[in-house]
Amino acid sequence: MKTLLVERKDSIVIFHLHRPSCLNAVNVKMLDELQQQFEQLQADETVKGILLTGAEGHFAAGVDLQEIRHFTPLEAISFAERGQQLCSLIERFPRPVLAAVSGYALGAGLELALACDYILADKTAQFGFRELCYGVLPAFGGTQRLPRLIGKARAKELLFTGNVVSAEEALRIGLVNQLFPQESLQEDVLQQLQKICNYGLLSLQMGKEVIDTGYDINLPAACKMERDAFAVCFSTDDQKEGMSAFIEKRKPRFTGK
Amino acid sequence: MHLLKSVSPVSLENKLMSDWQLLHTEKTNGVGYLFLDNGQRFNTLHSECIHELRDALDVLEADSTVGCIVLTGDPGESFAVGANIAEMKDFSSIDGWKFSQLGNRLFDQIEASKKPIIGALNGITMGGGCDLALACDIRIASDRLKIAHPGAKLGIITGFCGTQKLPRLVGINKAKEIFMTSRTYSAEEALQMKLVEQVYPADQFMPLVRKYAEQIAHQPPMALHLAKKLLNASENVCVTNGQVMELGAFASLFPRTGTMERIEDFFAAHSH
Repeated sequence: MKTLLVERKDSIVIFHLHRPSCLNAVNVKMLDELQQQFEQLQADETVKGILLTGAEGHFAAGVDLQEIRHFTPLEAISFAERGQQLCSLIERFPRPVLAAVSGYALGAGLELALACDYILADKTAQFGFRELCYGVLPAFGGTQRLPRLIGKARAKELLFTGNVVSAEEALRIGLVNQLFPQESLQEDVLQQLQKICNYGLLSLQMGKEVIDTGYDINLPAACKMERDAFAVCFSTDDQKEGMSAFIEKRKPRFTGK
Repeated sequence: MHLLKSVSPVSLENKLMSDWQLLHTEKTNGVGYLFLDNGQRFNTLHSECIHELRDALDVLEADSTVGCIVLTGDPGESFAVGANIAEMKDFSSIDGWKFSQLGNRLFDQIEASKKPIIGALNGITMGGGCDLALACDIRIASDRLKIAHPGAKLGIITGFCGTQKLPRLVGINKAKEIFMTSRTYSAEEALQMKLVEQVYPADQFMPLVRKYAEQIAHQPPMALHLAKKLLNASENVCVTNGQVMELGAFASLFPRTGTMERIEDFFAAHSH
């Protein structure tokens, strides 16, 4: 049985994490299917953006404990590496990837959401890392991405206490960017993603890359990287089209060239 | 320091009252004000304006009676917007590179300044104007602030450090949203995401900004200078090295006479 439902809406691909028997808990099969999908879409330029979401009212509730409880250390390392590779692949995907969260986004589920460009949610969403309660740790990059997003002290609080936070709290601490009504979450997020994908693909791609790469290096070097990417924009058709359209007060038609 | 042009005191005197084309300066109660005012609806941040900003900052930097600098577009409609699009449209890659480099020099100068520089965001703040605000040490917004980074709409990314400074200020995910959606945000939203430190009502904006700046301007200049340096450095060094820098800065604030007295006391106590 497939752990992933794939839906296509024009130039957007929607992935629904789908293991309804266990709140879409993340298992090895799901990691493999996601890896395969993201690898395939990387080269497909007709896909301008990806929406990662859950099915049946939840995003994903952690890792499937049944599958990992008897792991040896070596098996645990290989499992964590698989998850980390996938999260890096999502993070470095050359086009926007948004997460839409209803219900639980816990543990590995939250780590998948953290690998996306940003997280949008409805008020049923709940976020947390329960790993310490089971004597383990988040291992798909969660201990690294969470503090970068919400600050070290808050990240420690979430990990140490195992507390599950509400959608409102997640919005307040910057884990979630925006909240939408429950009944229209997917439509609203899709609309936002479609709007983004109408902009120039090259500047989006470069913008995403310089933000991510620059965040982990020192500021002076990061600004030089940005300067060079900025200069490259002026050799694209998108820049000429975007600025001409602005001056002529019309809608731009970007070609991604 | 290496970025500051050497300006002789005589030319500084003259320049203080001189007529800039795109801005004017004022000095009141220890605060130096830099009003962007290009006589048009929006203060565009083109090369000429950047040159004037750099010169005017040099003047205020060299003036020892100025403890703090305020940069604003008040009473205009905008704080600042980006470059002139009509001019930028036909840029080659190397034109873009040079323009970015010019902006970066201005921002390096703001960072290297010994004085706190406050961005008083009186209104529309977009693109390069947003990056100018990000280069300031503190941002105060009027409640009619409209702030955006619309580069994606134009088929470019910003070249004035925004993609690097914004994530460090508002978090990486919020920064991606701002760049990817090109949306315009209100003062309240900007405050909530910590893009600005204060929001004041538009009808009392400048009086409140002046009060805020004067409070900073009356702090001891050396302590202000070192605090700015340490806080800027804290972004780029590990905590261990940062603490060493803090030790040195802390010690340097104690008067030399104090140290000498202690040494003299030591010798006096041991010379019998």
